[in-house]
Amino acid sequence: MARWGMVINLNKCIGCYGCMVACKQEHYLPPKIFWGRVLVSEAGKFPSVKKLIYPVLCNHCKDAACVNVCPTGASIKREDGIVIIDYDKCVGCRYCVMACPYQQRTFYGDDSTQYFPGQGFTEWEMIGKELFPLQEGTVVKCTFCAERIDAGIKRGLKPGVDRNATPACVNACPAKARYFGDLDDPESEIARLVSERKAFQLGPEFGTNPSVYYIIR
Amino acid sequence: MVKAYDWMVKCTPQTEWIEHKGILLWLAFFFIELGAGAYFVGSFFNSLPAKGIGWLLCGLLGGGLHFLYLGRPFRFYRMVVRPQTSWISRGMIFVSLFLLLGFINIVLGFFSITSSILSVLTIVLSFLVVIYGGFAMCCINGIPLWNTALLPIIYVASGLWGGAGITLGVAVAKGSAQMLTGVEEWVHLLLISFIILLFTYLISINYGTIAAKTSISEIIKGKGWYIFWIVVVIIGIGIPVIAMMTGSRSTPAAILYLTLLCELLGDLGMRYLILKYGFYNPLIPKTT
Ligand code: SF4
Ligand code: SF4
Repeated sequence: MARWGMVINLNKCIGCYGCMVACKQEHYLPPKIFWGRVLVSEAGKFPSVKKLIYPVLCNHCKDAACVNVCPTGASIKREDGIVIIDYDKCVGCRYCVMACPYQQRTFYGDDSTQYFPGQGFTEWEMIGKELFPLQEGTVVKCTFCAERIDAGIKRGLKPGVDRNATPACVNACPAKARYFGDLDDPESEIARLVSERKAFQLGPEFGTNPSVYYIIR
Repeated sequence: MVKAYDWMVKCTPQTEWIEHKGILLWLAFFFIELGAGAYFVGSFFNSLPAKGIGWLLCGLLGGGLHFLYLGRPFRFYRMVVRPQTSWISRGMIFVSLFLLLGFINIVLGFFSITSSILSVLTIVLSFLVVIYGGFAMCCINGIPLWNTALLPIIYVASGLWGGAGITLGVAVAKGSAQMLTGVEEWVHLLLISFIILLFTYLISINYGTIAAKTSISEIIKGKGWYIFWIVVVIIGIGIPVIAMMTGSRSTPAAILYLTLLCELLGDLGMRYLILKYGFYNPLIPKTT
C-alpha cells in the first residue's frame, strides 16, 4: 500500500498564497476555515535579515496525535496514510484540535457564516454545501484531496504525476515548489527528494512522523 | 488574540478549550473534579451529604456543562470507543461508572444499607475521575505548559482540596466536632501540598521551551497577572493559609464558608490560567 506524502521546496516557494487559495476553492471552504496556510517569518538582524516562508498543511502524520486522542474513532488513519475525519462520528470535543502540535485542525462551529454577511450565500457557497458538506459542530482539516486521489486511482491515474489524481495545492503552485507521491515507493520522485535532498519534517520532537517534508535547496 | 499573520509564527495560544463555548469546558472540568473530590473525601468520613453534594456537582454541573460544550452533544455516547489511546474516552467511562455506582451507593446509604464493595469501588472511581482531566491535558505534547507529569498531580491536589473544603463545610453545618478535626487535617495537608506543587510546577515549566516561558510570563507578569496574584495567590491561597493558622474551632462558620469560597475561586482561577495560557511553540524552525 502506498503512503502518500508531500515535499515542499522552500527555495522555490515565492509565498504567493496560491496553494492556500486553491485549497479554499477546491473544497469550497467557508469563511475563516483554512486547510492550508502560508506562514511568513523573519530570521536574523538588520542588515542581514532572511525572510522565511513556510507553506503548512495537515502533515498526515504516520503516528498521528489527533487520531490517538480521538475518543469516538471519528479521526481515522487510512491504509494509504491519509488522516481523515468521519463527520458522522465526531462529537466536537476538540481534543484532536488540542493534540495536533501543528494546529492543523479547526472546529467548524457555525455553518451560517457567509462570505458576504447579510447578503445570503453566494452560488459558490451553495455548491460547496452540496459537494463538500461540512457538519456544524465537528472538526475539519485538510484531506490531502483524498477524493481526487481516490477518483484518479480508479481511473488508472497516478497521484503526483497526473493532475487529476493530485492535490489541488500541488497543481496550483506556480513555482512548482510542491511534490506529491508515494513515500514508500523508492522509485517515486518524492522518495528520491526525501533521501537525496536532506528533507526535514516540522516538529520532529513531537514524534508524529509527518508525511510532509521540506527541502531548502 | 493572536494576529492572523503571527499564527504559529509566534507562540500561539490554544483557544478551543477556554474561549467562547470553551468556558463551559473549563467549568466542567472544575465541577467534575471538585464533585468527585468531595465524594472521595466525604467517603472517608462517611458523610452522606458530602457524597451527595459531590455527586450532584460532578454529574449535574460538571457533566451537564461538558455535554453543552460538545459540538454535537447528542453523540456523546460515542466517546467511549478509544479507551486504549484516549484519555477523554477513559474519563467518560470513569465518570459514567462513578455516577451510576455512586448514585446507587448514596441511595443505599440513605436507607442505611452499606456495601463495602460498592463503597470501595466508588471511592476508586471518584479518584480516577479526579485525575483524568490532568492526564487528558498532560499528554498533549504540543503545549509545554500542560505536558508535564506535575499537572495531573496538581489537579488531584486541588480537586481533593476543594472536596475536603466541601466536606469541612458539611461538618461545620452538622456541628460534628470529631469530623471537623479529621477533615481539617485533610484540608491543611492538601493546602500545603497544593502550594508546594503549584510553585514547583511554575518554576519547572519556566525552564522549558519558548512557549513554556511565554506561558509563565503571561501568567505571572503578562495579561494573566491579576488573576494569578489576586485570585490565585491572595484570595485562593493567602486567605485559606490565614484560616489554617487560626484554626476552625475559633472561627465563626460564616468565615469558614467564605474561606471555602476563596479556595474554590483560587482553584478556578488557576485552572483558567492553565487553560488560557497554554501556548504552542512556533512551527517555523529557528535555524533555516
Ligand atoms: S498534522 Fe495534526 S491533524 Fe494532521 S495528522 Fe498530524 S497531528 Fe493529525
Ligand atoms: S472533535 Fe471529533 S475528531 Fe476531534 S477528537 Fe473529538 S470526536 Fe474526534
